[in-house]
Amino acid sequence: MNFQTCVNIQKEWDIVGARQLGRDRAKEIGFGTVDQARIATAISELARNIYLYAGTGKICFEMMNDINQKGLLVIATDNGPGIKDISQVMEDGYTTSGGLGAGLPGVKRLMDEFDIISDPGKGTEIRAIKWVR
Amino acid sequence: MNMNLEVEVAEKNKTTVLVLLTGEVDAYTAPKLKENLLPLTKKEGTLIEVNLENVSYMDSTGLGVFISALKSTKANNSQLKLMNLEDRILRLFEITGLDSIITIDSTVRGGN
Amino acid sequence: MRNLKLDIDNYRNLLKQYIKFLDENALYQAEQFSKLSIQHNISPEEIINVHIQALKELYPDLPKEVDYSLNFLLETMISYGLAYQEMQSLREQQLELKSEISVAANMQQTLLSTEKPNIKGVDIGAISVPANQMNGDYYHFVSDNQQSIGVAIADVIGKGIPAALAMSMIKYSMDSFSESQRNPCSILENLNRVVERNVDQGMFITMFYGLYNLNSETFSYASAGHEPGLFYHASTNEFREIKTKGLVLGVSKDTTYQQYEIEISHGDMIILLTDGVTECRVGNRFIEREEVLEVIKKYIHLPAQEAVEQVYKHFERLQGFQLRDDFTLIIIRKNV
Repeated sequence: MNFQTCVNIQKEWDIVGARQLGRDRAKEIGFGTVDQARIATAISELARNIYLYAGTGKICFEMMNDINQKGLLVIATDNGPGIKDISQVMEDGYTTSGGLGAGLPGVKRLMDEFDIISDPGKGTEIRAIKWVR
Repeated sequence: MNMNLEVEVAEKNKTTVLVLLTGEVDAYTAPKLKENLLPLTKKEGTLIEVNLENVSYMDSTGLGVFISALKSTKANNSQLKLMNLEDRILRLFEITGLDSIITIDSTVRGGN
Repeated sequence: MRNLKLDIDNYRNLLKQYIKFLDENALYQAEQFSKLSIQHNISPEEIINVHIQALKELYPDLPKEVDYSLNFLLETMISYGLAYQEMQSLREQQLELKSEISVAANMQQTLLSTEKPNIKGVDIGAISVPANQMNGDYYHFVSDNQQSIGVAIADVIGKGIPAALAMSMIKYSMDSFSESQRNPCSILENLNRVVERNVDQGMFITMFYGLYNLNSETFSYASAGHEPGLFYHASTNEFREIKTKGLVLGVSKDTTYQQYEIEISHGDMIILLTDGVTECRVGNRFIEREEVLEVIKKYIHLPAQEAVEQVYKHFERLQGFQLRDDFTLIIIRKNV
């Protein structure tokens, strides 16, 4: 099952849908309880960012199959305003919500691989992969 | 962090603004003073009267703010006047020679 | 994410022991388990997962609802785990920064250091202690020949790194002045122009410069808004404030400075300081200038260097060993 499934993010409720779909796919791939929870949290963070800052976007899931490992690829895309200073938003201690722990650094900690492409005016694409341990 | 500075601004008349300061002016509160005071100096022809009778402490960072404000009044053709300085603070202005370039009304003393 | 396998058996046994005996030892062992896990970066959600598994093994007939509720707790704790990891990372960054500042402070020490002149008949003591790592106070001795000693003492507004950077500017400017420019009022006038051109709007520097002429036994000086020092006149056994007037450096580029002169006789002393000395707080109130004088009088009979160090120790103790501002004190005594 290597095809991509996606969830459109337009209303806050869509975040829940993205979490659910992501968790289901993670279960199929064989992730344990804790990793399922981590993946769901990462998806939640990404979807919430789209909802709060970009207005609309989507979260897609794809199973990854390497020579000796399986994993889940999460792709978050939007056509929002883009991020002006990526290094800044990836810095520990930088927060728009007033608390520690959340934000993109959090997503990076929850997943194994993380990449972000964003330009002001051109939207954002974030790719994160978690491998089954 | 000590955020012990209150800044009250009131219009006395069309050309005079009164600024009443309460608390301490130091490295932590100086930015707040600057934020409030500097914009007032930008309006040409204004007289800004700063009342320091409730200021219990000020250090050199506070002086720095008044220097910036003074420079701004010169650039914008406005005026700055300080009133009711407590002894220790007045001494600070005297030692640094700032009392010769900033108008200080020392006839009425203040402080806690 | 670490791949360390948590010792589930250990946890399960401790849990079993505690449930059966409610004993303190199990709790103590749990504490050790926790500490070890933290050391290995195990996050809260993994601990809860271990708990769930242990519970399942101990009580296979446990209601499903308990299982669900613990899964719920697991999800809730993930954010706490992330916050904790972020804090750890910030802590490491802070240590790095502190270390960088240490290097800068050492460099500052080296680049801006000054030697006390060693001249027969003149006893000199000097001490300068920063409140943090970087020093915003500056003092400097000049004695190219055996005929005169120049002494500069300066205080940059604020503390820490910006103050220290502004001070470097003073040092290097002074180094570039020629012999003919070495009288106190010229020095201050030149420095004032340099500072005014180069610092921020609200920044300024206070400075005192004096020139002790050993041949004519006179001390000429000028001050740019600096904290007044003290003269001690041996013949009358009196301390008097060094009265000067002058605008701080950096405010107005055309400032001129008045130069003063006094005679120095045997036993007389020149005491220079920064406001880190006079702005000392004693409990809730500020120290009075008379009290500062009392402290100085207490140690004045000692050799100059010992005297300044004892005075410093006295003030350090008065402030609970935490300086509020950079502290600088210089004593020059004529011994012959």
